[in-house]
Amino acid sequence: MQKKEDRTYLLNQLRAIQNKHNSLPEKEIRSLSKKTNIPVVKIYEAASFYTQFNFKKKGKNTIRICNSPSCYLNGSLNIINEAKKLLKIDVNETTKNKKFSLELTSCIGCCNNPPALMLNDELITNITKPKLKKMLK
Amino acid sequence: MKILEKSSLQAWKKVKKLGPDKTIALLKKKGLTGRGGAGFSTGLKWELTRKTKADERFIICNADEGEPGTFKDKLLLEEAPENIIEGILIAAYCIKAKQAYIYLRGEYISLKQKLESTISNLVRNSKIKIDIIQGAGAYICGDETAIISSIENKRGYPHFKPPYPPQKGLYGKPTVINNVETLANVPLALTKKDWSDNLRLFSISGDVSKPGVYELKINSKLGQIAKLAKAKSPKAVYFGAAGGLIPYKPNLIINSENICKEEASLGSCSLIFVSKSRNILDLALNISQFFKHESCGKCTPCREGNVHVLKLLEKIKTNQASKQDIELLEKLSKTIRDTALCGLGQSCTNHVLTALNQFNKEFKTK
Amino acid sequence: MIKLKINGEEVKAKEGEFIIDVAKKSSINIPHLCYNERLERIGACRLCVVEVKGMEKLQASCCTQVRDGMDINTHSPKVLDARRLNIQLLLANHDLNCTICKENLMCKVQKYASELMIEDSIFEDLERNEPPDNSSVSIRRDNNKCILCEQCVRICNDVQTVYAIGMAHRGVGTRITPNFNHNMKESSCINCGQCVVACPTGALTEKSDVQGVIDALNSDKFLIAQTAPSIRATLGELFGLPAGTPVTEKMVTALKQIGFDKVFDTDLGADITIIEEATEFIKRLKENKNLPLITTCCPAWIKFGEQFYYNELNKNMSTCRSPQAILASLVKTYYAKKINKDPKDIILVDIMPCTAKKYEILRPEFNGEADFVLTTVELAKLLKELNVDFLKLEDSEFDNPLGASSGAGDIFGRTGGVMEAALRTAADWLTKKDLKAIDYHSIRGMDEIKEAEIKIGKDKIKICVVHTMGAARKLLDQIKEGKSPYHFIEIMACYGGCIGGGGQPPSHNKEILKKRINALIKVDEKKKLRKSHKNPAATKLYKEYLGKPGSEKAHKLLHTKYSKKGYV
Repeated sequence: MQKKEDRTYLLNQLRAIQNKHNSLPEKEIRSLSKKTNIPVVKIYEAASFYTQFNFKKKGKNTIRICNSPSCYLNGSLNIINEAKKLLKIDVNETTKNKKFSLELTSCIGCCNNPPALMLNDELITNITKPKLKKMLK
Repeated sequence: MKILEKSSLQAWKKVKKLGPDKTIALLKKKGLTGRGGAGFSTGLKWELTRKTKADERFIICNADEGEPGTFKDKLLLEEAPENIIEGILIAAYCIKAKQAYIYLRGEYISLKQKLESTISNLVRNSKIKIDIIQGAGAYICGDETAIISSIENKRGYPHFKPPYPPQKGLYGKPTVINNVETLANVPLALTKKDWSDNLRLFSISGDVSKPGVYELKINSKLGQIAKLAKAKSPKAVYFGAAGGLIPYKPNLIINSENICKEEASLGSCSLIFVSKSRNILDLALNISQFFKHESCGKCTPCREGNVHVLKLLEKIKTNQASKQDIELLEKLSKTIRDTALCGLGQSCTNHVLTALNQFNKEFKTK
Repeated sequence: MIKLKINGEEVKAKEGEFIIDVAKKSSINIPHLCYNERLERIGACRLCVVEVKGMEKLQASCCTQVRDGMDINTHSPKVLDARRLNIQLLLANHDLNCTICKENLMCKVQKYASELMIEDSIFEDLERNEPPDNSSVSIRRDNNKCILCEQCVRICNDVQTVYAIGMAHRGVGTRITPNFNHNMKESSCINCGQCVVACPTGALTEKSDVQGVIDALNSDKFLIAQTAPSIRATLGELFGLPAGTPVTEKMVTALKQIGFDKVFDTDLGADITIIEEATEFIKRLKENKNLPLITTCCPAWIKFGEQFYYNELNKNMSTCRSPQAILASLVKTYYAKKINKDPKDIILVDIMPCTAKKYEILRPEFNGEADFVLTTVELAKLLKELNVDFLKLEDSEFDNPLGASSGAGDIFGRTGGVMEAALRTAADWLTKKDLKAIDYHSIRGMDEIKEAEIKIGKDKIKICVVHTMGAARKLLDQIKEGKSPYHFIEIMACYGGCIGGGGQPPSHNKEILKKRINALIKVDEKKKLRKSHKNPAATKLYKEYLGKPGSEKAHKLLHTKYSKKGYV
């Protein structure tokens, strides 16, 4: 365990790198390791655990469509299929022009306005097919 | 809603006059219990933490709300962050903690700015420091020992208990982990005469016309709740995903004990209504997929078991399951429940067991 | 005192003890895969679950402490059913080709599946099909057999502080891998093989050189074997003998029987290491320069030093080769000349306790000397394959001129042994006497860091003996900060020393390791010749061939140099 003076919050530091580079590049993680004195493999262990971090670059924008029960009962599957159709990719893929990556997500706490999705950091609710189409332009 | 009434630091002033011991005593007397699902006496938790000898102690506000169908904490973070921060300050003061953390789930990152400005407005000239740790997409980090691992820069793995966080928590030190709603209630419990622990925030969603957060008394009838949210001919109610499900019973009085008797768990009061037109098997598939994705992978039964629960359900869905498959599904679900390391594993198959029991007609063999 | 019941029997235990340990003391062995007495308890495999009266769910006995009045059943029908199911879950995500697995008949998952009478796969096979990692010369990694017990990760990170491997991803997709999915060769792995010792399945095994040795034995080359000090203390276990039974003489016969023309003793190499290292030490002591001197017999520690501390510590590391490298050098020069053979026609096989030795013999500084390394485990496999009835073998002696050793050479295989051997010679040379007190008890035992102040004549020598790299790191950081109080440090990467090496019969059990250590102590005590510099075989080599200790020729043949090593 780190000394009190050296306590660092890896989650926040990784978030900063993810925001800057849209991924966690190996080079950045090695720099972080030197800076924090945390071995590279320990950072890799932690970072690879969370779904919001990725090591390989994805699309410029990530769409995460909620498929948990409340949204599922309120049309999430339709939205997911529509997104696949509009973007011409499957879930966990990135568009050719690297503009969008499509993913599913667990409940994002918008069950009072379903179906819902995350567009990067933003929570967007009451998704309809026209709303989705506009978003994905 | 009463919970949204602003305390405006009145409680904080009162607490500093009373001192930690009297505050804890008052909180115990008022009977505030945890809103994260376990329902433990908040005052007692603080007392146990305070009594553990250590050179530092910590408060963690669990804002990793991730249970499907739960969005009450989100409402509080958006509409009453001041009450939450005040609750954190009071908790830290009472247990003599100098450092508090708000573990904010990654999906709520858009709420961070308001939270940060609330902290800088309210926390002045205080020895107590409140930092926000940003989660990054892991339901398991709502578990209290997993939250600790996560803040310690490790994988969000739960840890066996005992030891419990009030004895040995973050960095091995005594730690209080409180839910957002619990902390938001602290200033109100200490100052409002008409405050009652029986008033809870219910997250209602699913096959309902008026989904939302409802402030209701515990011991309300299920039928009343269904009416309020305008549930559409309900046949079953899920208590989040981990809470399992019950067949819809309009006269059922909603409290922890009664739900427990129905082989389900009230948890943090999230109700997902499912209408008669739905297939329970489809929901079982959806929820099993959720647990497979969210399993941390540390222990064998949950990591491997959830894969096969899903496979067996898929087999039933495609009309390829035999009687033995259904028996295996039941046996597997029970073994995961009885041998998993943490609360996620121990509750992830309750919905399957109830479904097999109460909705067995929908689980056809070939 | 806590009173409780296990399987109906009254048992006493101390406060704070865990159920699995209390049960073991009562001869109840609860199945476990992730529990290791040397590592942090994690309660992950859930095989050790037991039924506790009054508790609805089953409790993991490795991380549940006993309480007064507990009523425990370790093998009830509910428990056995749960164990069976959890093993079935592991088997569904596992390479079930046991017949062609290196760990066949030694695998713990096999053992429990058999004990629980599993006769059918009840779950769909998840068809793991990942390519194994064969990049390392010492260790083979096969993730298709990994059961995620995390022992290897805990040992590599918490005990050895090497941080070569970790857990990646989540849920059923979790994998154990070096960072960013690099391979073992690129990682910071020091080849110590402690992960191999810990791994209950065939996921981590030593890289096999058995076939190469069989081919060599069938060729027309001149075959020489040398055996490391600790092999004689551990080989017997693989033939059913109790831990700590020395089998030196049978070991030599066995090697001769399978076709080795000569069997030499690495212990002689150890004696020469001492002669050179004591010379080196006395020189540094007199000049008060480049102290503390750190021993360098352990190739895993050397790689650790070259990776993490090269700039700061290169000057402290002894330039003396390890015993195996010294003997290998002499075999291909001195001995080759003596028997009039081209060194290319001689094949030297090292029987070593250590997976890191497979890496050591390939160091460019040593290339072409030793040709193969077989670990203790590999040797036993080879002997069994070639139908050697080990227990019935007659005794044989090592061959001359490179077979005679002192007791000081034998104790190299245990923690503190190199230091003791070195002190025996250094003390005699510094005092110019033939000292009688040659047993240094203060640096014996299983503590990870043992320090002492030895009075030699007028000098007060501060020494320190460490085993495990985690403990060694503390001393290395001290040296780095310029705060080291020591003159002489012995580092061994493996707990217990070479007797606990990556190529030994796998065990982290303290009692077994102690027994192995005692075997070496007894071998040493039985010998009349117990000081390296008094070994006539060694002194003859200097007279005939090497000149004086520390001479130019000695430096050329018996010393080496280090270089900074990179890693990801």
